[in-house]
Amino acid sequence: MSLVARHLEADGLPTVIMGCAKDIVEHCGVPRFLFSDFPLGNSAGRPHDPDSQALTLELALRVLESAPAARTTVQSPLRWSDDAAWKLDFNNLAKLTPEDIAERRREFESVKATIKDMPGRK
Amino acid sequence: MAFVAEHDVPIPYMQRTRDYYQALGFPAYRWAHFAEVPFTPLVKPLAEARVALITTAAPYQPGVGDQGPGAKYNAAAKFYKVYSDTTESLPDLRISHVGYDRKHTTADDPRTWFPLARLHACVKAGRIGALTPRFHGAPTNRSQRVTLETDAPELLRRCRDDGADVAVLVPS
Repeated sequence: MSLVARHLEADGLPTVIMGCAKDIVEHCGVPRFLFSDFPLGNSAGRPHDPDSQALTLELALRVLESAPAARTTVQSPLRWSDDAAWKLDFNNLAKLTPEDIAERRREFESVKATIKDMPGRK
Repeated sequence: MAFVAEHDVPIPYMQRTRDYYQALGFPAYRWAHFAEVPFTPLVKPLAEARVALITTAAPYQPGVGDQGPGAKYNAAAKFYKVYSDTTESLPDLRISHVGYDRKHTTADDPRTWFPLARLHACVKAGRIGALTPRFHGAPTNRSQRVTLETDAPELLRRCRDDGADVAVLVPS
């Protein structure tokens, strides 16, 4: 999505990305980024929380209209949880047993095989 | 104000992913990385602007397995071409085809990855001028070449055809 934002912007179309993967988006380099420090999958706010979703979009719109230059990141003040332990879980080897890793390797092989066989794939 | 825990920082996804795939025995992914970043200032206030919405969520496809909340990573539900659909009604979009955080999010509220209803509310409130008649779907292709040479130009063309003044991009 970062590559798409850059392409649109280079042609004169202003963009803002709403996302949760701060390092990946900033590593690519995008014009404007509203970062929510939430688990991946919640770029537009907290589930079943209309106020959170409204604030997240409003912040993105403010970033869109007020960023002074490229690589503007604003971090939403919203917290996913008072306890940040969730941040230690995602794909964290330190929390996986050898059996977990073997299982995930099998799953990934299966995913790769599925993708390879898909008709729509270029 | 009290200090928070050392690990209470944005998750270092790149390092985690590198370590993870190395342990699984797969080659490292190289993320796109540029020195220069384009920037286009807004030429009109948002209250007069037509907004395009771009998502990585996938239309629900019957017959390709579980795409519901908490479904395992479902590669069969991926899509490989840019798609567009009307912004007049709410589509049935899912995220089972991407690597979202399956432990800490339920994926049972599409508004957390597709803010179309909120954007309609913003039009009604006068916060933005209008929505484009269509939203657009960007493939989550791991080929950066296809993204750069095919998908991004196609998304740009569709945004232009729709008269978009600005775009809101929401990766899931």
